[in-house]
Amino acid sequence: MTRDPDMTGRPGNRPGRGPDGIDLDRVWAGVAAEVWRRRPGPAERLAGRLLRSPGLARALLTTPSLLLGWVLATMAVLLAGVVVTLSTGTPWVALIAPPLAAAGIAYAYGPGIDPAWELSQSTAVSDRMVLLVRALAVFGLNAILGLVASAASGAVAAVTFGWLVPMTAVCALALAAATVSRSANVGVLAGLAGWLIIVLGDRVAAGQLTAAVTSTVLILPYLAIAAGCVVIAMYATRTPRGAS
Amino acid sequence: MNVEISELTRRFGRTEAVAGVDLRAGAGVFGLLGPNGAGKTSLLRMMATVLPPSSGTLRLLDRDPGSYGPRREIRRRLGYLPQNLGYYPGFTVAEFIEYFALLKDMPTGQVPRAVATAIEHVGLGGKARAKLRTLSGGMLRRVGIAQAIVNQPELLLLDEPTAGLDPEQRVAFRALLREFGQRGTVIVSTHLVEDVAAACSEVTLMNAGKIVFHGTPDDLIAQGEGHGVGDAPLERGYSAVLAAARP
Repeated sequence: MTRDPDMTGRPGNRPGRGPDGIDLDRVWAGVAAEVWRRRPGPAERLAGRLLRSPGLARALLTTPSLLLGWVLATMAVLLAGVVVTLSTGTPWVALIAPPLAAAGIAYAYGPGIDPAWELSQSTAVSDRMVLLVRALAVFGLNAILGLVASAASGAVAAVTFGWLVPMTAVCALALAAATVSRSANVGVLAGLAGWLIIVLGDRVAAGQLTAAVTSTVLILPYLAIAAGCVVIAMYATRTPRGAS
Repeated sequence: MNVEISELTRRFGRTEAVAGVDLRAGAGVFGLLGPNGAGKTSLLRMMATVLPPSSGTLRLLDRDPGSYGPRREIRRRLGYLPQNLGYYPGFTVAEFIEYFALLKDMPTGQVPRAVATAIEHVGLGGKARAKLRTLSGGMLRRVGIAQAIVNQPELLLLDEPTAGLDPEQRVAFRALLREFGQRGTVIVSTHLVEDVAAACSEVTLMNAGKIVFHGTPDDLIAQGEGHGVGDAPLERGYSAVLAAARP
């Protein structure tokens, strides 16, 4: 098609051929490509290498999953949690982080949150991969913040382990609920409700509010819940084979 | 054949949006016409692999979109403009098109030139670095068209592509349709019969989830001779076929 800068149907302002038969359209496309291209930053280049997909790396770093506001909110709440934990001796970071991460996960994916969701559904990079990579990003960020916070309290391994495992379960629950219902709010509510039930269950009666993150007996149930919810999320985002 | 559809249905609860459609399409530009609620968008979304069919057979680019590997290959070769283009307001025109080029799995080295070519194709060179939130509705539509064509698709699906375009832009857009129709299949869902008359080699008319007419624009015009209502010959054919199809 002849270049048509104004999409008016008229021949473009730039001639298609220059002196000596040079294809000016082709030259211009090369110049424009260099001028307009978005050069990925170090984080995107690293993500692209780790994920072996520039598309996934771009999806991870430039779409709603890692909005600055959400990252700042996470840091603010976790920092507040650290301060309270250190001053009271109760692992508030471990108690607060799972529902917070669940909200992050639920809001990181879905038709109501991602404006270009329908377009993304028709692209080769699987929406499930985008979803799981974004989930990983939430865990990764919270794990880093958790390590920093727990290092300050002097109980790195126990707190981080006791925090990440239940967080995995709660986030998977939120992810499954948000994916099945196609509503991020439903995902957040499911995550919060699940965590409240765990924390406030019969432990309250025994005065063990923090047992949900300190009892090793709960590790296997947490992992089972997480695995089940991931399966639900994967199932809900599949394309059925009934298509053919 | 790039599109082979047999007895395809799609139900939403009790509503049957697409009710047993058969369609085959090779290279060329195909117009999909019909009133609101006829099932055009649902059919297009199934062809875009966004919506799974309830039943029936669907093959795209000689592949089965029901399996992961073939579906991914189809999506690499697919261009899709949805009826409602969702976009990230903070992205520039070039960033948005580049983002979807990457999600379409285009080789990274080819992306910048493909993006520049697509932007020039839709005449947005002067706006390449403008944020999407600053663009008019017609310009956003052109951005949507650019992302659909950035990977030089073999199957191009466009839902109401000329909505918001001014008459001059529509003329240029029809030329673009013809260009892509020479090397692949272009399916255009539209309400504007003049777009069909000017650009399409075949036209399919849907009503209540079924195909009620399939033929050339001239065939549709012939249906309206002495029967239809409308200002243009194709409009008369359109209204005559719909009148005959309604109980």
